[in-house]
Amino acid sequence: MSETMVKPGTILGFLALAIAAATAGTWFYRVRMVDIPEDRTLFVICFLAAAGVGIAALVKGAGKLGVLPALLAIVVGAFLPFTIAISEQQVATTGVQVGETIPHFTALDDRREMFDSKNLAGRPVLMKFFRAHW
Amino acid sequence: MVTVSTDTPEEIRDRRYAHGLRADMLSDRDLAVTDAFGLRNLGYHSGPPTDEVEALPVPTSLLIDRDGKVLWVDQAENYQRRSDPRVVLAALKRHLD
Repeated sequence: MSETMVKPGTILGFLALAIAAATAGTWFYRVRMVDIPEDRTLFVICFLAAAGVGIAALVKGAGKLGVLPALLAIVVGAFLPFTIAISEQQVATTGVQVGETIPHFTALDDRREMFDSKNLAGRPVLMKFFRAHW
Repeated sequence: MVTVSTDTPEEIRDRRYAHGLRADMLSDRDLAVTDAFGLRNLGYHSGPPTDEVEALPVPTSLLIDRDGKVLWVDQAENYQRRSDPRVVLAALKRHLD
């Protein structure tokens, strides 16, 4: 057998990285488009598959060439499970409730002009609180 | 429609153009509006460390009538699960038609 032959673990390492990169690329594109699907099972499967193949690559022996792609795939593959673990929200029970009148507020808008909630009087409003653009 | 986030006005303006949004889009860096509504996330602050805000709001949709009374609230127990547009449209139809 030739000494220059690429190890199976190396191929697995690059395969893991390809799965991780494709999945992460799609995920972040959809995040940017504010289009994350309600059912994220396929994303979870793909991320975990990337991590699993990365681990398999290390177990088989990825060689110098395949170690870094395998490790990157494991880190990226663990990304979604990590974000799921930290995504639970806790809110005070004193938050605004159905039937209550909203508080008066002011805030800067995207033109750096002061918006006053008094401007909302006389029309129904859909109000959405977001975390941030990222 | 009114949106509230912890983004800076400049970040909001960029996103308005990127997504073609038409709404009153407000910056709440000090969480004054978020706290007035009682919507601060008291759990883990999962924002990037480079963002200097103290906390983040819990993603929440509210439908408010012309007198300022809350008709409907949809709140995320998990920030990755936000109000589905179909749910919001159904609420608009149910309460405003």
